[in-house]
Amino acid sequence: MNSSIYKQEQKRNRIILLLLCFILLVLSFLFLFAGRYPKGGFTFVKNLSENSMMKNIIVNVRLPRILLAIMAGAILSAAGFTFQMLFSNPLVEPGFLGVSQGAAFGAALVIVAGSGSSIMIQLSASFFGLLALGSSYFLAKKFRFGGWLLRLVLSGIAISAIFSSGLGVIKLVAEPTKDLQDITFWMMGGLWNSNWNQIFSIIPIVVFCLLVIYSYRWKLNLLSLQEKTAYSVGLNPKRDRTILLLVATIGTTLTISITGLIGWVGLIMPHLSRKLFGSDSKAALPGSMVMGALFLLLCDTIGRTVLATEIPIGLLTSFIGATIFIIILSLRHQEGKA
Amino acid sequence: MRSVQMEHISYTYPTGTKALHDISLEIEEGSTVALLGANGAGKSTLMDLLLGWKHSQGIKLFDKPLSSYGRKELGRCMALVPQSENYNFSFTLLDYTLFGRAPYLSEMGSPTENDVDIAYEALKEVGLASYAKRSITSLSGGEHQLLLLSRAIAQQSKVLLLDEPTSALDPANRQKVMKILEHLHEQKKTLIFTTHDANLAYELATHVAMLKQGNLLCFGTKEEVVTTEMLTTLYETKMTVCSIGEKTLIY
Repeated sequence: MNSSIYKQEQKRNRIILLLLCFILLVLSFLFLFAGRYPKGGFTFVKNLSENSMMKNIIVNVRLPRILLAIMAGAILSAAGFTFQMLFSNPLVEPGFLGVSQGAAFGAALVIVAGSGSSIMIQLSASFFGLLALGSSYFLAKKFRFGGWLLRLVLSGIAISAIFSSGLGVIKLVAEPTKDLQDITFWMMGGLWNSNWNQIFSIIPIVVFCLLVIYSYRWKLNLLSLQEKTAYSVGLNPKRDRTILLLVATIGTTLTISITGLIGWVGLIMPHLSRKLFGSDSKAALPGSMVMGALFLLLCDTIGRTVLATEIPIGLLTSFIGATIFIIILSLRHQEGKA
Repeated sequence: MRSVQMEHISYTYPTGTKALHDISLEIEEGSTVALLGANGAGKSTLMDLLLGWKHSQGIKLFDKPLSSYGRKELGRCMALVPQSENYNFSFTLLDYTLFGRAPYLSEMGSPTENDVDIAYEALKEVGLASYAKRSITSLSGGEHQLLLLSRAIAQQSKVLLLDEPTSALDPANRQKVMKILEHLHEQKKTLIFTTHDANLAYELATHVAMLKQGNLLCFGTKEEVVTTEMLTTLYETKMTVCSIGEKTLIY
């Protein structure tokens, strides 16, 4: 056995990744013509310039929505993958350190306060998401029990619970006919409000976060080892973990501040990617990003086309994600390996 | 040439517990040193200080202060073989061995073909090359220890720190690990390992440092320091060193 086998595998992974990217591009283009106008399902328009209404819908409604689905899918799975490697635990995702609950609390607070503009919801969700991460981190430093990862897990649980109870109080006092509905819809997730302004407001930071995570794709392997081992092979694990935790959290909170809570993507896509590309994150991380983008694009298109009313994307991702999760766990049990 | 030099090293934990007190010793390049002592004697703390994981002034590596080494430079000089490792992902044995090449890569780089060849050689050296594409989660305890060694070998450093390298192994795997370590010794690598097993220390080491409650009880060639008196003092229980032919047995 020699390095040629390794090279062949790398080549195979590159081909699969390119194939997935190609499928993503083709589907993105096709789904521009999927929707409920002028009739349900696919409608191909031969000459777009002659149909201004259709052109407007495609350019200003469907295109930003498709871009947002791709971006959200990529960052949520990349963040999930990052958290799993950093915590050396394949069962975690960004909600793990209270990020999702913090963001949900922030969004609900602004909705109830009456200034429910999307930019305010974005800012507040991002702020409280980061606050939750910071609180979990500093609380973990204060704990005098167990190792670093265990302390982070415990502080994440505590911070999540605090923000959950805060969210409960907000829902209790929210005006039932409007605010409570807005909060409920935000928590179910959805891309129906997406527009170019929202995309432009988050795209530079989210793309930056994706690039930072991508640049760490091989190093993430090392960060899943014990901190002392990672240090012994020349890493600065504390610095690298802090950078990755920050970018994964910022990318996630910014995205869910627009889309609402979308669960399971960050948990399931890294698993599926490892099944396809192997555990080496050099291939599995980009694979996870593309698969996350594909998954959310498909879920969103299903959600906005199959029924007369839109199905919130968070409900679909939860249903499909949980089903895949059960299948993976059953198969894993049969294989008897992690 | 001295590979490691320690002058008056002390270490106190943030909780106030004194772990090491005034340790001084010099380790020649190519020697194999056992850090021998009972549980809680300070062996692991001393190992952490040597690795730079915990900080203390007065440690030199190849006549250069340890604190002046960059992370990657240190990784190229010194490799760690921990007692165990996180195995929560199904890396292949080759993936895992390649992690030892990290000190030679650029900040965001990944292994090259040359690194893959070196990793294969390391796997061959520990007898795991034919399992290179197997998942690490399918390995036995003994194979895990061999894999930890292969990563450290792929690191191609002059000094290897080994934390209790044979403590959880059956006799067959223990012999395998010892043969590999003897082979590394023949390649003039400096090996420093912790153990509470005096037989292992005598069998494998050229020099022995005895640690008791954070103090260096003695340091010298194994023939000088591994004696009935010193071991009895070290473990505070009756120990006997006896020779049977060419073999030395400690009980």
